[in-house]
Amino acid sequence: MSQISLRTITKSFGETPVLNNVSLDIEEGEFVTLVGPSGCGKSTFLRILAGLEAADAGQVEIQGRDVTAIRPADRNLAMVFQSYALYPHLSVAQNIMTPLRMRDLNRLGRLPVIGPLLSRAAHRKMRDQVGEVAETLQITPLLDRKPGQLSGGQRQRVALGRAMVRQPVAFLMDEPLSNLDAALRVHMRAELSELHRRLQATFVYVTHDQAEALTMSDRMAVMMHGDILQVGPPNDIYRNPASLDVARFIGSPRINTLPGEVNGTGGLELLGVTTETRVRGLRQAVTMGVRPEHLHMRVTGRFSGTVRHRENLGSDIFVHLEVAGAPAKVVLRLAPAEAVELGLGTRVAFDFNPTDILLFDATGARLAFTHPAREVA
Amino acid sequence: MPQSRVYLWFIGPALLLMCVILLIPILIAGGLSLTDYSLGNTGASFVGLENYERIFTRSTYEKMFGATFRYVFVVVPLTVGLGLGAALLIDSLGRFGDLYKTIYFLPVMAALIAMAIVWEFAFHPTIGIVNATLERGCGTVLERWDWYAQGCERTFPLWLNDRDYAIWTVSFIGVWQGFGFNMVLYLAGLTSIPPSLYDAAEMDGAKSGWDRFRLVTWPLLGPTTVFVVTISFIRSFQVFDMVEAFYPQGGGPSKSVYVMMFAIYEKGIQQNLMGIGAAITVVFLAFVMILTLIQRWLVERRTHYV
Ligand SMILES: Nc1ncnc2c1ncn2[C@@H]1O[C@H](COP(=O)(O)OP(=O)(O)OP(=O)(O)O)[C@@H](O)[C@H]1O
Ligand SMILES: [Mg+2]
Repeated sequence: MSQISLRTITKSFGETPVLNNVSLDIEEGEFVTLVGPSGCGKSTFLRILAGLEAADAGQVEIQGRDVTAIRPADRNLAMVFQSYALYPHLSVAQNIMTPLRMRDLNRLGRLPVIGPLLSRAAHRKMRDQVGEVAETLQITPLLDRKPGQLSGGQRQRVALGRAMVRQPVAFLMDEPLSNLDAALRVHMRAELSELHRRLQATFVYVTHDQAEALTMSDRMAVMMHGDILQVGPPNDIYRNPASLDVARFIGSPRINTLPGEVNGTGGLELLGVTTETRVRGLRQAVTMGVRPEHLHMRVTGRFSGTVRHRENLGSDIFVHLEVAGAPAKVVLRLAPAEAVELGLGTRVAFDFNPTDILLFDATGARLAFTHPAREVA
Repeated sequence: MPQSRVYLWFIGPALLLMCVILLIPILIAGGLSLTDYSLGNTGASFVGLENYERIFTRSTYEKMFGATFRYVFVVVPLTVGLGLGAALLIDSLGRFGDLYKTIYFLPVMAALIAMAIVWEFAFHPTIGIVNATLERGCGTVLERWDWYAQGCERTFPLWLNDRDYAIWTVSFIGVWQGFGFNMVLYLAGLTSIPPSLYDAAEMDGAKSGWDRFRLVTWPLLGPTTVFVVTISFIRSFQVFDMVEAFYPQGGGPSKSVYVMMFAIYEKGIQQNLMGIGAAITVVFLAFVMILTLIQRWLVERRTHYV
């Protein structure tokens, strides 16, 4: 049985539907990422899991217990907010200590001066716990500062510390890296993964950045327009997207899409070229997707285009080609050595391996196809 | 190379205005407070600190300080407390918040002279609504209360004209009139608290309303509170028009409502004793100055979060 499960969650704000019958199961110790474009309802979903927002319909279960009607404070979850939501008037140490103070001390023990005197042992234990967490996150020198005196990355660590100081059932994180600069974001990505390995805890992570989802998660759930379109390990989703929307959203630069047609005999025709790919079914319009790294420059290539733009990333070069009949530019990933001679306006012939393509029907669903050599998909 | 004098044009106008309308009058008041000048006299003689000595020894001025401080120390805590309470209640309301906001803010906007007349009627010993209402309660359990029983036996207090009650009655009206202003300031302060802090508090286990208030609301209202308290102090020290409306002569029964502003007016304007009037003004300014310094100190020390 999974540790957290959300069943048929439905939510709308007034007339606007935000979540339509969304279900998700999360196993213990998993790093699950919810990824989707801005405004697709990820935060709302996470807040429903936390209890900060009430669902219109559906259940939330944590460790087999139905918590749909239970308030957030009693669900034993910890959350890292996008804005960090640190208490500005408390020092870093006090911020991290707050969950302990609120949960482990009674009213008397929380009083400003008398509290520490009355429950000395409890306070010492809490201070030790805060010290340990600070040690783990390497923020010990910052403990006496106020949040206003910290950098973005340091604040992010304090927010993590406040979540970590207890042993919650799961850590919920709502785009915790979105306020950081690019370099720090990459660094914190690694740190978060490391932290997850060390704590062996359940992480539910929300982001609109597919790179974060691909790099950190055990499983990712792709959300769009209030639905979860596909759930699975990052690699599966990248290689084997269930629909055109998912294929387009995951991967950067975006997957190339070319309009095509299945002719009367089941052959796939692309930009006037009849390929050996066979599709079972009727004559229909289809979309072929192929990722930039699967397009190869080849003198004998069946397709050709004109170089319109080059993006040099150092290790790779992305070449944007204008191809007659294709609605958008086709992007090729090339090694720098290959691309040396390709100035703007050069004509390039290219091709792909028939096993590397994805086919989608007019509704965006995946189409199975066969290839004379072997069966794919 | 000659230094540019352009900067004078930037700071000049503000500096000039400040001198003409603020600093010079204060200096003149300070100067006058050392003389026995009266308006119309050609000259005045220097009397040293005699005016100040009078302020701190004569019983009239003792009454002045007594009345002023009673008023201030009743009105400030109550207007601040009620302002905060009303703001919290209104903030927790969804639909009728604006209605209550308007109702509580009405007394702030109303002309105090007109309001004073209404209150004078209300507190009238025989035809006033207050005592009429109290008399209704005679013969009920309320008579168990000694004060009430006495009121029924003889008469209920004269309120505005009883020297034991007058300053408290005036303070009550001051509270009624002033707390809406603080409420509006607190409402503005409340809207600036990020809602995510309440979410964080809930996740951290702050379950009761009191916990949330202590953990988030009250600390984050710190800057607002410092401002509200200072402005309430200054407004209370300045109370004048109500006293003038109720007691045009003499500052109430046995001078029990003889507040500072009224004293300045009576001495300086009514009796044309400019010297002593100026001296009271200087003392008044000193109080306001001290309050402002305390406020600055608090703002810089404790409540500045970034
Ligand atoms: N309190 C609210 N009242 C009305 N509409 C809301 C409210 N909160 C969110 N919405 C709407 O619900 C939709 C989903 O919002 P949500 O915050 O879950 O998006 P998100 O996926 O987290 O986006 P982002 O990546 O930008 O944070 C949005 O269209 C938003 O406008
Ligand atoms: Mg969001």
